[in-house]
Amino acid sequence: MLAVIKKELKSYLLSPVGYIFIGLFLLIFSLFFYMNIFKYQSVNFENLFINGSTILTFVVPVLTMRMFSEERKNGTEQLILTSPRSITSIVLGKFFAAAIVMIITELFTLMYFAILSYFGKPSIMVAISTLLGFLLLSLAYISFGMFASSLTENQIVASVLTIGVFMGMWFLPYVNKVFDVFSLINKFENFSYGLISISEIITFVSFTLTFILLTIIVLQRRKSIK
Amino acid sequence: MIEIKNVTKKYGNFYAVRNINFEVKDGEIVGFLGRNGAGKSTTMNMITGFIEPTEGEIIVNGYDIYKKPRKVKAQIGYMPEGTPLYLDLTVKEFVNYMAELKLIPKKKRKEAVNEAIENTGLQKVQNNLTKNLSRGYKQRVSLAGAIVGNPKILILDEPTVGLDPKQVIEIRELIKSFKKDHTVLISSHILSEISQICEKVIIIDKGEIIAVDTPENLESKTTENITLNIIVDDINNKFQTIKDEIEEISDIKLVKENDDNTKEYIIETSTNEDIRKQIFSNCAKNNITILEMKKSEASLESAFIKLVENRQEYSQKEINKMQYEKEIEELREEDKYLKEEKEKRKQAKKEEKARKKAAKEAKKEAKQNKKEELSVKKENVGNEEEIPQDKKDSNETNNDDLKKEGGDK
Repeated sequence: MLAVIKKELKSYLLSPVGYIFIGLFLLIFSLFFYMNIFKYQSVNFENLFINGSTILTFVVPVLTMRMFSEERKNGTEQLILTSPRSITSIVLGKFFAAAIVMIITELFTLMYFAILSYFGKPSIMVAISTLLGFLLLSLAYISFGMFASSLTENQIVASVLTIGVFMGMWFLPYVNKVFDVFSLINKFENFSYGLISISEIITFVSFTLTFILLTIIVLQRRKSIK
Repeated sequence: MIEIKNVTKKYGNFYAVRNINFEVKDGEIVGFLGRNGAGKSTTMNMITGFIEPTEGEIIVNGYDIYKKPRKVKAQIGYMPEGTPLYLDLTVKEFVNYMAELKLIPKKKRKEAVNEAIENTGLQKVQNNLTKNLSRGYKQRVSLAGAIVGNPKILILDEPTVGLDPKQVIEIRELIKSFKKDHTVLISSHILSEISQICEKVIIIDKGEIIAVDTPENLESKTTENITLNIIVDDINNKFQTIKDEIEEISDIKLVKENDDNTKEYIIETSTNEDIRKQIFSNCAKNNITILEMKKSEASLESAFIKLVENRQEYSQKEINKMQYEKEIEELREEDKYLKEEKEKRKQAKKEEKARKKAAKEAKKEAKQNKKEELSVKKENVGNEEEIPQDKKDSNETNNDDLKKEGGDK
């Protein structure tokens, strides 16, 4: 797994992909930050992430779309799948590499907290809860993006599929309250109020595990279909 | 050792590989020959566990690839078709990653990577990104990835495609050097290469194995008669008489007369035995000097073409037969259809007749009913004493008619 993580991190950070992801993410976050401070005169760190959770919809696919599609298209899939590594370790390796890039990005957002605490007194506990929630949300999104990437050899199809499903999860609650169950963004909002509930953590973790598992199954099943 | 037992790979109704059986023994270099789409890569992908066979068993060094995939994969170095590489890594990083994937322990890894790079002649470019390399170098990087860590079994899918002649020779020498302690399976469609490197050749066509043998045997099996090229210094023009002295010679053809009074002939024989000794002694008797004599080599190429073509003819026959049968079946079906149509029409006619009959009967019945009704009515009317009136009326009309008739007359 470590070998895969190392190599994937290299591909993220030696190619523009990683920097586009981090750059885009921080650019939009900074815009939100600017608006929060100067428009609403607020020293609220959490609001930033409530807004920020929506842009995950468009940014996560940048990170995930190439995961398996690129390997499949270039044929390098043959190299990893004929190696003595298990499919599980390959999938987890790729997942954690993307997660690490995500965590690096989140660490960058701490600078907003630093700026805010220079001017006011934002609550540390709420900030931690928010960051935890945001991390869980982004991991859940990454797992789905990875799953979409394992389905097709076309990166664009993978990213469109990912964005489509995320937007569905985002907007469906506005159609009917029933769809609240599917909205991960709504579940994240509780974290930003400083509420960490077990049911929400379980939802995020089980969502993530489900799609990691589905990715493994897809790769295993494709052996006999190919 | 690789054992392939009754392996079939099916895509829908299409057989990519059909019921193949073969063995590659330890320390053997085996060539896998076949035209494009014959099933070479599919078979190799199945041996390396990239795809699963629909049926059959693949056993590598005693382990079933299906039951113990990781143990099998750890022993195999695979160079896939089309040289897939991670384009954002350097050569050294790529080979190192392959070594890591193959679970080579950290202590040995560096050495293994350097050895693989050295063996494939990549030292000069080891720090270049693989995407910037020429095709030949990419091929070598792929090969380095396969041989890193000295796996016992090497499976190389077209390893010398796209290399320049010098590189081809180098890679061939490298593959030959694996002979002692590796089992190697090479696919190729360059036949001279196979005949140079391999001890055994497996020829596959349309998913089925059509020959497993040594290159020499394949060549001699498929060539029925030997032809000889000979250049002689024949002052007395006696060379043609040799034909009468050696039975096996069926024909001697003069190819050309050279400026130095030597002549070049082609001798066609009717056997596949070597008769060069006899020719030599005969020429010596007749005072003919032989400057050059060689068996025209029936190459593996011609053997391959013959095998495949024979099969093609056969399959063409099969196809014809199948088409014929299909046509017959179609005709039968048409016949059936026509008969059915006829019967349908007959039935329809019958039904119509029956309907008409029924209609007639219904009409008859209706008439009878009416009659009965009428008679019933009449009876009723009779009871009400209206019959006389009727009778009167009828009498009157009768009278009128009679009058009219009388008037007319």
